Amino acid sequence: MMPIPMDEILTELSDQAFEASRLRRIGVHTTPDQVSAEMLVELEAAGDAMRFVDADGRIAWKATPRLCDHLRDLERDAQDDLEDV
Amino acid sequence: MPGREPTTIPSSIEAMRASLLRLEGEWETVQASRNRDAIYGYLTAVFELVSWWATDGRAVARAGRALHLRGHHSDREPEPFAALILCTADRDQVDDRTRSKWSRVLRYAAEFKDPDEPLGDFIRRKGGINRCASRLSRQRRLGKQYQGAQPNEIACKPPILLTHFWFRQNN
Repeated sequence: MMPIPMDEILTELSDQAFEASRLRRIGVHTTPDQVSAEMLVELEAAGDAMRFVDADGRIAWKATPRLCDHLRDLERDAQDDLEDV
Repeated sequence: MPGREPTTIPSSIEAMRASLLRLEGEWETVQASRNRDAIYGYLTAVFELVSWWATDGRAVARAGRALHLRGHHSDREPEPFAALILCTADRDQVDDRTRSKWSRVLRYAAEFKDPDEPLGDFIRRKGGINRCASRLSRQRRLGKQYQGAQPNEIACKPPILLTHFWFRQNN
């Protein structure tokens, strides 16, 4: 099965979600795609991920502008905190 | 359609609500901006959403669901671009004529835009919103004329040949 096409932000979140589920698992084997799919459903419903048609005509996923703005704010806050230290 | 998702991920009603909210946010950004090109951001968001609906083969059904969610009811099959604009842009600002024009621009882009090219660049390259809208109208008119010509030609040919045959027989 082909991996779900995602942008950089969602790929990173998906990797983190898979690692978290791998550490939590008790005898249940979940594939990275299953974890990604569950994560994308939640993010899409929350308005943080969206589908789009990529240059190859496939339906792919990317972070919404809202999530991008939120992450940018978090990064800026972290940088400010570092400067204060 | 060129491609479906490798893993089928269902789309929920909450996801539809989130998409409509996102487009309403884009519309508010246009309203708050003094930049003339801000409209391209909103039109791009509408175009992207309908594009994946269409690739998934459910554009009309999803447009109908969006209209229903926003309390619009229509007996006719909705045109997805116009439906989304109706659902997400301020109706006092966007009248029927403007909505129809933007929908034609987006349908023209859906037919002729390269997937790599940003929508705003495409529209500007084609002479702007009004030009793109009239290009689609012209295209459709020519299409109708061309389609209409074939049966007429076939219908006309036998009488001409018969007349010719009658003329030769009687002279």
